[in-house]
Amino acid sequence: MQLVDVLAIALLVAAGVAFFVGESALSRAEDLQALYWLAVGVVSLRAAVQVARPGAKT
Amino acid sequence: MGAAAQASVPGVYAWGVTVAPAAWSRGAPLLAKIAAVAAVLALLGGVLGERFWEGRARTVSLWGFVLSSALAWSAAPAALGPLRIDAPRGIAGMIGWALFAFASAAPALQGRREEQRLVDGAELVPRKTMARGDAALVTGGALVAAALQLLGWRAASAERELLVRFVALAAGLAIIGAAAEVALARHSARVKRSRLRRLRRAMAVLVVLALLGLTGVLFALRG
Repeated sequence: MQLVDVLAIALLVAAGVAFFVGESALSRAEDLQALYWLAVGVVSLRAAVQVARPGAKT
Repeated sequence: MGAAAQASVPGVYAWGVTVAPAAWSRGAPLLAKIAAVAAVLALLGGVLGERFWEGRARTVSLWGFVLSSALAWSAAPAALGPLRIDAPRGIAGMIGWALFAFASAAPALQGRREEQRLVDGAELVPRKTMARGDAALVTGGALVAAALQLLGWRAASAERELLVRFVALAAGLAIIGAAAEVALARHSARVKRSRLRRLRRAMAVLVVLALLGLTGVLFALRG
């Protein structure tokens, strides 16, 4: 397992936590916080996939 | 997969949509909760018992599930009032029970083609072995997606609950998809300097993430 794989998994976990916190804020009607955490979740997820995807074969 | 196992999938869905919300609604008695748990146990017992007792286990499981569900509803009749059940959930519950009835009444037949394809004593060789950690990664993603479904059931309004459900569903699907993609990407061909290239390509997203983190910290410090 390479270091970037570990980073990708850490970003995945971070995305899960961010979604969890965002959803919790959404259910409490704290919309600004919810929006912030959901945005963090989406960006973390995107970063995890980008980091994990290997480079083009040369 | 046996007939009881096939029927258990829509059964669990119907239970989750119609029985569990009634049993765990506000003011529901303990009897409703016990009956709801017994219904699930009857369903799971049918799946396990089918291996040993076949048709008899299926019948006991079916009636156990239906009667326990009916007992749960009877113990908490207020939860079934028209004001407590919204139309989408009612329709989803009807579809769930219809699918369960269909799967229970028409068990899957043993296809001839399946039998012909089986060669007794021949050991199947897997085309590729699953790398260690892949299953854990995808299971972890599925568990996080399932955990997201636990939140937001007691929101201020029905519209808010619906919004939370929608967001949880979308987030859960995205997490499972990303976990599968990360697991698959580990097996792709690696090239030299791939690590640097990957980090460079992901730099824009990582910078956005860092900016979001910084914004959060600044807001937290101000608050």
